[in-house]
Amino acid sequence: MPKRRDILAIVLIVLPWTLLITVWHQSTIAPLLAVHKDDGGDSRRDLAAGLDSKEYCLSDRDIVEVVRTEYVYTRPPPWSDTLPTIHVITPTYSRPVQKAELTRLANTLLHVPNLHWILVEDSQRRTPLITRLLRDTGLNYTHLNVETPRNYKLRGDMRDPRIPRGTMQRNLALRWLRETFNKNNSQPGIVYFADDDNTYSLELFEEMRSTRKGSVWPVAFVGGLRYESPKVNAAGKVYGWKTVFDPHRPFAIDMAGFAVNLRLILQRSQAYFKLRGVKGGYQESSLLRELVTLNDLEPKAANCTK
Amino acid sequence: MLRRRNLLTTLLIVLPWALLLTLWHQYPTTRYLSLLRKDTDENVTSKALLNGTSTLREEGFPSCIRQQQNIGVTPKVIQNYVYSRPPPWSDTLPTIFVITPTYTRPVQKAELTRLANTFLHVQNLHWVVVEDSPRRTNLVSNLLEKAGLNFTHLNVETPKSLKLGLSWIPSHTPRGTLQRNLGLHWLRDSFSNTAPPEGVVYFADDDNTYSLELFEEMRYTRRVSVWPVAFVGGLRYESPKLSPAGKVVGWKTVFDPNRPFAIDMAGFAISIKLILEKPQASFKLEGVKGGYQETSLLKDLVTMDGLEPKAANCTKVLVWHTRTERPTLVNEGKRGFTDPRVEV
Repeated sequence: MPKRRDILAIVLIVLPWTLLITVWHQSTIAPLLAVHKDDGGDSRRDLAAGLDSKEYCLSDRDIVEVVRTEYVYTRPPPWSDTLPTIHVITPTYSRPVQKAELTRLANTLLHVPNLHWILVEDSQRRTPLITRLLRDTGLNYTHLNVETPRNYKLRGDMRDPRIPRGTMQRNLALRWLRETFNKNNSQPGIVYFADDDNTYSLELFEEMRSTRKGSVWPVAFVGGLRYESPKVNAAGKVYGWKTVFDPHRPFAIDMAGFAVNLRLILQRSQAYFKLRGVKGGYQESSLLRELVTLNDLEPKAANCTK
Repeated sequence: MLRRRNLLTTLLIVLPWALLLTLWHQYPTTRYLSLLRKDTDENVTSKALLNGTSTLREEGFPSCIRQQQNIGVTPKVIQNYVYSRPPPWSDTLPTIFVITPTYTRPVQKAELTRLANTFLHVQNLHWVVVEDSPRRTNLVSNLLEKAGLNFTHLNVETPKSLKLGLSWIPSHTPRGTLQRNLGLHWLRDSFSNTAPPEGVVYFADDDNTYSLELFEEMRYTRRVSVWPVAFVGGLRYESPKLSPAGKVVGWKTVFDPNRPFAIDMAGFAISIKLILEKPQASFKLEGVKGGYQETSLLKDLVTMDGLEPKAANCTKVLVWHTRTERPTLVNEGKRGFTDPRVEV
């Protein structure tokens, strides 16, 4: 008889304590672990997830859904299956400030979900500095290189002055995209050319994400102005360019002022930046005229007012 | 003895059951069980997290309106991850107070934007932005609010007499001094010396470049920590000189290495405890020789052997004194070509 009572007592003690420990363990440890999977490259998970987790219930009579929301910070943000990928093409070249420029650019890009950084060095070989930098950021990236031929007739390290800087590098990235993605494959993507010394707001990337063919927006500190901007009519269509310098160019816009849908890049596989014989300010036109017409352009940034 | 045993046993039984009952009272049974089940198996159903809106910040959800009493029905658990920036505040990490003086000029918004983009990755960062202006401007106020950072927005205008320089020697006027001092003053007003928070103070100019690693290096400063800075003093970088034992014994600079602290503003951080302990320590305003501004503050706070070298014993460059080129606005002309209402 005492034995049975003892057994009962033991069960009555052990059972609730075990349950308590499991619950306590789950509720404090689980949020810290913040299990989240992303398949787009490495992501930096060193920082703790938010400890608040909010729950709400959806109920429809017999079906109960519990949606548990956790505020997490990862660098970059977890890859999403629904957002179009933004392919950012950045030409770069060695000089003292290169690492600083790429560091602060990476710090910006690390906030943008579904971003793929294509960094193209103007060099004979991919440099260890860039290789290490790219790996340490945790970004989804592709590292390419092509050297702009030097013009030995001129003194020193002068590159061929007839080829505008960055052109061969941007073209190489376009070629890489065309070799990597099948035009029949419907992976939505946007292509943007981002120089390593510009400044980008995070809002910009969300504006360009919805590009169907080609989108445009204002750019500050170009053309000797506070900003240059597309001219947008009341119907929301681009009909001209608000610039002082040569406003009659087919596309009087800076490299940083437009984005193109990846599908267009893949379909018009011969469209590249013209290498030689390009007048100053016409580089963007040399590519865009093969891809879109003025009518195709989608004005972003609140109808090009921001 | 039997009695005591009985008492103990009763306690051991009653206590956990009472706790369990309270838990069950707070959360419906089904939810509790489903949490257990979800967390024990590895497959977590994660829904697409971002709603495609332009602000990817925290979004709240309303709490459960009704408690569900569906006994016997196992609910489906959807795990939603919402990307938040900056990282959630932690109660255990020391705070990094970053004091940034700033002034109105065309590139101001661009500089502050990319600086904010860097700070948004740093946990427990409090940004103290001090404008050199008679009033806090809308441009900076809006930027700070939109960014989502933990911030304090101050302003103090440098009088024109100081801008021109009172000293006889035509050395460079110490820009940002009044603003940095106001930042220190705010810290001393906001926190008490008797119960100082865990934290560190760093002076970050709005045109420099900071790596994320730098902030983790400075976070656990006990007194004053130092590290190399790129592109100052006419060199690729300036750095503290360390002894084999890892103590700072001098400064590896070409320009006046015999200064008490031959280091750039971006090359050191001070523990907030020290700032609060020595309330008289500020940047000197007048009569400061070129390159001695940092010394004018540090000499009242620490001696050379109190310095903590960071960045792998000062062998890594984690901060760059970059400068931003002034944009040419020649085409604006006399009356201005672009719309002045559009903020740049």
